[in-house]
Amino acid sequence: MSAPASIVRRILFNVFAWAVVLVIAFPLLWMVLTSVKPSTELFVIPPRLLPGEITFEHYRRLLTETPFLIYLRNSAWLAAGTTLVVIAIATLGAHSLVRFSYPGRERLARLVLFTYLLPSVVLIIPLYLLMTGLGLANTLTSLIIAYTTFALPYALWLLRSFMKAIPDDLESAALVDGANRMQAFVDVILPQALPGIISTAMFTAILAWNEYFYALVLVNNDAARPLTTGVISMLVTSFNIEWSLLMAASVMMSLPLIVVFAFLQRYLTRGFSAGAIKG
Amino acid sequence: MPTIRAASASLRLRSLDARYGLLGALLIAPTVLVFCTVIVYPLVSAIYLGLFSIYTPTMEGEWVGLDNYRRLLASGEFWRSLANNLIWTAGTLTLQIVFGILVALMLHRNLAFRALARSLVLFPYFLSTVVAVLVWRWLFNDLYGVLNHLLLWAGIVDLPVDWLGSMPNAMISLIFVGAWKYFPFVVIAVLARLQAIPDELYEAASIDGAGAWARFTDVTLPQLRDVLIVVVLLRTIWDFKEFDLIFLLTGGGPIIGTQTLPLMVYKEAFALNQMGGASAAAVLMMLIMLLFMSLYLSRARD
Repeated sequence: MSAPASIVRRILFNVFAWAVVLVIAFPLLWMVLTSVKPSTELFVIPPRLLPGEITFEHYRRLLTETPFLIYLRNSAWLAAGTTLVVIAIATLGAHSLVRFSYPGRERLARLVLFTYLLPSVVLIIPLYLLMTGLGLANTLTSLIIAYTTFALPYALWLLRSFMKAIPDDLESAALVDGANRMQAFVDVILPQALPGIISTAMFTAILAWNEYFYALVLVNNDAARPLTTGVISMLVTSFNIEWSLLMAASVMMSLPLIVVFAFLQRYLTRGFSAGAIKG
Repeated sequence: MPTIRAASASLRLRSLDARYGLLGALLIAPTVLVFCTVIVYPLVSAIYLGLFSIYTPTMEGEWVGLDNYRRLLASGEFWRSLANNLIWTAGTLTLQIVFGILVALMLHRNLAFRALARSLVLFPYFLSTVVAVLVWRWLFNDLYGVLNHLLLWAGIVDLPVDWLGSMPNAMISLIFVGAWKYFPFVVIAVLARLQAIPDELYEAASIDGAGAWARFTDVTLPQLRDVLIVVVLLRTIWDFKEFDLIFLLTGGGPIIGTQTLPLMVYKEAFALNQMGGASAAAVLMMLIMLLFMSLYLSRARD
């Protein structure tokens, strides 16, 4: 093949591939564009791709005239609370599953995998009754407890595969040097596992941030509503659906994900085999 | 002499296993406790509740044994929801796999600004389903949605399409949005595997005279087999039990046109106030999933 022909082919491939990428990304692009268009431009026929003028009016209204900030605060607490609780329990648990031997250990590991795949509609009714019984209905606490049902198996599974990758010799060496096993855990295993723990924490936070179903069933007042159900209630309760407002809310909801995503990007394909991607 | 040191240490480790077993159990104790409270107890409880007829607001109920199951299996709605569930799962899964492999192959090649292209493709997966649904409902909007305008402008349709309010459009839209949201999972998995296929395999195939298509079917696909088996299993389970996307996009409508089993469970429990019947439906759904899983795993092992 002559050189110019191969260059032409490369250019054609690039044009085609980027066209595909842009089609996939178009809904998100449209979301951002809609959120900065003046309301009057929304209903121009035919729709224009680029806004005639850029306005942040919708964002201002979202933050000042709607309960968005309350939802945001709730979501932040939920993500932080769930992550903290789950990571603390799962780090100890994963360490135990990897480095100790006792009867029932393998069965427990399999149970973790099973619960990783358990449908939440099976658990929701008893959980709903449990939370009402404990007087926790409509609280963030009830959601943190409910979120552990999927976040704990997930984090445990992920951390287990990270900790398996840490060589046994490291702990052995520390033990020979006179450390007891808890000291070895704190001084040797934890620092080695830290990157894995941080990644797991971020994936867990994303899961909690995005969760919708439990929040729909367990929380029914604005004071404890997270962003997911909160923004939907803005959609349902408004007489005129204000798309620019909803698109602004969508962008705001996705911003933290972009930051986390940028951080985790390099790690995605590597973490995949460890089970990092859940959906 | 690190090897001797490590060897003696691992000997010592083994001899101390018994004493440390207690510490190991102590470390796993919080996990077991949480598992029992939020997973095992609700699971057992759901199976138990399925044997009662319970009115949600008062929580008063009576033992009905297997009546809930009998009623479910005799109701058209259950079978319709199951059929919808299978159509949705098969449809969206097929699109995810086919599209996921194609895009992964594309992103694996040398592309200008490849990192940016990858981010743009993968991002829908990390997005909240709520955001994905809001964006698509805006695109699907019958009056001002950009999708209808594009089709009208291109002359493909004469009238705006009702994407979500009529059948079979609602199911097709649902399958399509599900594919858009979840195909990046396949892309991530396949990309990771593609990077691990040794170039020599392709070179050897080329020397044997294999063209591009033959290289794909004879080298790439067999290498992808194992990862695809896992991906199909996971995505089938996750698609089968999907609630958020369907509930938010169509609400199961029109009427029950796109109602799947998770939506039926939710409706029974919290709209029709039948906790017992809902629990039975949930348990039945779980059994169907387990049956499917074991069938699939035994087939995949061959």
